[in-house]
Amino acid sequence: MSEISRERLMAHADGQLSLPERERLEAELAEHPDAAGELTQLRRQIDAIRTLYGPVLTEPVPERLDIDRLSARRTARRQRFWSMAAAAIIVLGVGIGTGWMLRASLAGPTAAERLIASAVSAHTVYAGENRHAVEVPGSDSAHLTSWLSSRLDTQLALPDLSAWDLTFLGGRLLPAPDSPGGRAAQLMYEDRDGERLTLYVTPAGAPGPGYQLASLGLDTALYWADDVLTCTITAPYAADRVRAIARSVFGQLSPRAPLYSPS
Amino acid sequence: MPALRRYARALTHDIDRADDLVQDCLERAIARRGLFRPQGPVRPWLFTILTNLHRNSLRQARRRGAMVQLDAVPEPAMEAPQPGHLALAELARALDALPLDQKEALLLVTLEGLSYHDAAAILHVPLGTLMSRLGRARAALRSVTGTPAEPHLRTVK
Repeated sequence: MSEISRERLMAHADGQLSLPERERLEAELAEHPDAAGELTQLRRQIDAIRTLYGPVLTEPVPERLDIDRLSARRTARRQRFWSMAAAAIIVLGVGIGTGWMLRASLAGPTAAERLIASAVSAHTVYAGENRHAVEVPGSDSAHLTSWLSSRLDTQLALPDLSAWDLTFLGGRLLPAPDSPGGRAAQLMYEDRDGERLTLYVTPAGAPGPGYQLASLGLDTALYWADDVLTCTITAPYAADRVRAIARSVFGQLSPRAPLYSPS
Repeated sequence: MPALRRYARALTHDIDRADDLVQDCLERAIARRGLFRPQGPVRPWLFTILTNLHRNSLRQARRRGAMVQLDAVPEPAMEAPQPGHLALAELARALDALPLDQKEALLLVTLEGLSYHDAAAILHVPLGTLMSRLGRARAALRSVTGTPAEPHLRTVK
């Protein structure tokens, strides 16, 4: 009779054998006391292990392991996930929308906007001056014209705005870091109420032709550029009036400038 | 479910970690219900999930450098001291000292009564590998549970 393999004993102890196999093994065991002893020992070991952990089976299952509760929690968590996902998408959408709307301002001011800003600050500074509002008075217009024309390297005319009850006061030369020659001419006019209008003129630069109307506090600024020069009109008037004045300014300012009529 | 808890407890020897594992296992099972569930009975599938979770948690613990408490935990499932107490405590320690693959094999077959076929599938090993793991695990425990001549385990039961 052959030896009984350990695998068979183990399978028997673990209850893995079919009934015929079991019966055959039992019969063989009668003639192999060693194997029978080993089987007993295997069973003892199995019993010991089951005894060791058997009590876990009789312990009450903690509430947190309740299947229904876990399912419910999962459902709730899933709903929370979806609502949070929805919120995230909305926030993202608002962010993108805001970014899109702000894209112009985020890109920084354009050259035209910087010129307008310079014109308005020059207007604010000098229109408030009484005795030193201008550098060269309007009475000396011949000198003023040649001086500013040579400094700006552009043939400049002094517009006559008497049709708008505006008296020419004079002009000055200003630094203008944003203009090609680094210089700008400011021409100042005054109406009967003492309100002042300034023209801020620079040689045309990189931005090319353009037109822009800006309202800053009480002042309205109208920027206009052709391929010869740029001019920003700043005055404490309503936009309509500034636009109307602008039409006559553009016609007179530069003899070479094409007639421009902003609508 | 109690069987899951028992298996987890035997793997970890720590009631809280064991129940954490069971909870993770159940949550995962609920989440995958019908999706990834292989064909066949639920029980081996649950044991598969639990086994993998336990391996992952051990890996993470190692990566964190945290000590996995083995000896410090109170012996599990012990009732009031009894004659068999000492022998069982030794057995628990011997089980813990087993390499994980042997321990998993032994617990699945011996404690949970799974067929060799199912246990091998759960551990992703061929039948022969499972058998040899079982054999080695049992040989290692033999020194604790003793030969038939040694009397001390007779008090168990």
